[in-house]
Amino acid sequence: MGQMAELYALWKGQMIAGDDIAFWQEFFVKFYQAFIEADRWTQYISGVGTTLLVTAMALILGVILGVLVAMVRTAHDQQRPGHRNILLGFVNLLCKIYVTVIRGTPMMVQLLIMGMVIFASSRSFTMVGALTLGINSGAYVAEIIRGGLMSLDRGQMEAGRSLGLNYIDTMRFIVVPQAFKTILPALGNEFIVLLKDTSLITVIGGKEILYAAQGVMGRTYEAMFPLLGVATIYLILVLIFSALQAKLERRMRQSDRR
Amino acid sequence: MIDVKHLSKSYGDHLVLNDISEHIDAGEKIVIIGPSGSGKSTFLRCLNLLEIPTSGEIFFDGQSVTDPKTNIDQIRRQMGMVFQHFNLFPNMTIRKNITLAPVRTGLMKQDEADETAMKLLRRVGLEEKADAYPNQLSGGQKQRIAIVRALAMRPKALLFDEPTSALDPEMVGEVLKVMKELAKEGMTMVVVTHEMGFAREVGTRVLFMDGGVIAEQAPPEEFFSNPKNPRTREFLSKVL
Repeated sequence: MGQMAELYALWKGQMIAGDDIAFWQEFFVKFYQAFIEADRWTQYISGVGTTLLVTAMALILGVILGVLVAMVRTAHDQQRPGHRNILLGFVNLLCKIYVTVIRGTPMMVQLLIMGMVIFASSRSFTMVGALTLGINSGAYVAEIIRGGLMSLDRGQMEAGRSLGLNYIDTMRFIVVPQAFKTILPALGNEFIVLLKDTSLITVIGGKEILYAAQGVMGRTYEAMFPLLGVATIYLILVLIFSALQAKLERRMRQSDRR
Repeated sequence: MIDVKHLSKSYGDHLVLNDISEHIDAGEKIVIIGPSGSGKSTFLRCLNLLEIPTSGEIFFDGQSVTDPKTNIDQIRRQMGMVFQHFNLFPNMTIRKNITLAPVRTGLMKQDEADETAMKLLRRVGLEEKADAYPNQLSGGQKQRIAIVRALAMRPKALLFDEPTSALDPEMVGEVLKVMKELAKEGMTMVVVTHEMGFAREVGTRVLFMDGGVIAEQAPPEEFFSNPKNPRTREFLSKVL
């Protein structure tokens, strides 16, 4: 370690003096100052922690919101004519507005509105970011779940109901377990999008990986290595979660005995 | 047992059922035949409200089926249904398929339901399939299981919506055999089918539907030997 620091100091001095140094020496200097000098790698690591935390919180919020909205929308659409519930109609309208507004406006704009208008006085940028991402994700998850519920052969619902099971039981034991398997890939994709979108919370001051990189860039006037580092970290995270997702899907298919 | 009064059903401008009134007694085996698009499946599905009638009333055992205040689940428990495409639940074992409804609706405890399921499965010769999944069964086996599933609710009547139409020809027989046994035991049955042999052998009354109305009805011997309506004659000449 000490040796590396010495080499860094030497070559950096040569660089500043305008001496000709080899390509690999320059590479080393820039890499060293982007990640190792002043223990900068710890900033990235804590950024990863924030990213994972924000993703987890946004995911939980998104799934809860998504399930609720999907349940309301599906229940509303499956009502018997003449059996319409006014309250359900109203809640359904709210859900529709929510999904339309969230899906119809850019994530970045939503973040800025939340961070700079609605929670302008809040200092916990990371939490505001997580909240915004969760609300955003909920709209997409709702449509994914609704699509899954709708795509199931309606004969399944009919068979359940024809046996005298009520709507809730039919959903719980017959429709939802089957729909879950079909929505899992789409849900996994949504999760990966969410993971990557956490980088956007930087614009409202959320301290995740990209924020750390920007800090380093500001101090070293060097953009390439911090940004490549961020890209690499995200890629590794996504690869890990893709592998986990594939494993889960394989396991679900195993229970699909034929 | 089932009373249908001025039943009409339309999809938008398309009138599928046109003012049908009919009475079905307990123990009757009604066979409904007719060309496709004549409304026979819609009629059957209206009986347990899988289709909502546009107008008219239906009564089951004196209870109004069509009244929005009626608990329809309560009525469906007494009126089983067998579908053309079986509609078994692929995410459950056969045993669970059969016992889910009786247990969840409070009709039986789990062990009683299991016992009933095994008894019924033995009857249709499929007791070794109790722990299999629907996807592991042939069409004929699936449909026999579907019948067992409906029977597990101890219904007073069974509705069959083209139960053999999706089967390979060699599997039709095994399903019809189960249905014939049920008929012999006195089950009230309403069967939409293209199996004229079944209609002749098992039916107590044959309804011929065409253009959303019951164009002709008679006991099978009379219906097949001496059809009165020209449309019936034309239809029979094509299928017999």
